[in-house]
Amino acid sequence: MRYHLTLLIELKDGILDPQGRAVEGVLQGLGFRVEGVRVGRVLEMEVEARDEAEARAVAQRIGQALANPVMEVFVVEAVKELV
Amino acid sequence: MRVAVVQFPGSNCDQDALWALRLVGLRAELVWHTEGSLEGFQAAVLPGGFSYGDYLRAGALAKFSPVMQEVRRLALRGYPVVGICNGFQVLTEAGLLPGALLANTNLHFTCKEVYLRVERTDLPFTSAYAQGQVLRLPIAHAEGRYYADEETLERLEQNRQVVFRYAPAPHAAGGPDHNPNGSLHDIAGIVNEGGNVLGMMPHPERAVEEVLGGTDGLGLFWSLKAALEVLPA
Repeated sequence: MRYHLTLLIELKDGILDPQGRAVEGVLQGLGFRVEGVRVGRVLEMEVEARDEAEARAVAQRIGQALANPVMEVFVVEAVKELV
Repeated sequence: MRVAVVQFPGSNCDQDALWALRLVGLRAELVWHTEGSLEGFQAAVLPGGFSYGDYLRAGALAKFSPVMQEVRRLALRGYPVVGICNGFQVLTEAGLLPGALLANTNLHFTCKEVYLRVERTDLPFTSAYAQGQVLRLPIAHAEGRYYADEETLERLEQNRQVVFRYAPAPHAAGGPDHNPNGSLHDIAGIVNEGGNVLGMMPHPERAVEEVLGGTDGLGLFWSLKAALEVLPA
């Protein structure tokens, strides 16, 4: 089976995110009433796996390899079977 | 005594590091990052630059380069390892030093001279300096804000692992702006617990001749040379 994986890598709560702050300022300048803007990363990829559980396990290992646990958290946002 | 200067794709201070090491009489050689062995080297320098284009995060991809296993081995055996700027970022990403280097608070790539205070002189990198000496060195980075959680910071302070701290210019009135990037505890450079792995954001290799604007970085290379002379080969 072939799966499409989506991982999110975000800064931990409480860690100053100057990018988020800059984006927030611009959005507010445009008239949006937003707060708490944070900027993260989305990683997408395709993998071969026996089933969804295996694809999810691969996604977990990739997240562990790529996210820096000192200041980031990662989430496996989606595991979708490709047909 | 041979010192390896590791070249990652995107390193750009490798030649400067080589120059500075050779200036004090050390045998230094460039080593490409795919190299699987650092046999015969007694020290390694991870130079500044933009390894892997800073993609993903500064230093995040370089930690997977084959040579990093060997850098880790040198470090574990107690040999000196120095990471300058991007090299510091690589060392934190690789877990050889605690903490992380985040985007400067002001979001600018900051390229200027800063002052830093030498907090320790009992290290293979600082023995040529005086305790409390204030150095003038250039910085050039966008991700230099040292961050670690409270517990780690406390441990760093207790173990005296903070080697260089951003400081006001000597004889200046002083102000809150001597810290160029928002680093916690004004941290500009730290060592591991063993004291043989140093990471620092400022560039000592860019301050080794008067023609470069200063020589305050030379002490680091003289210190390294003195330390290597008494190490077993």
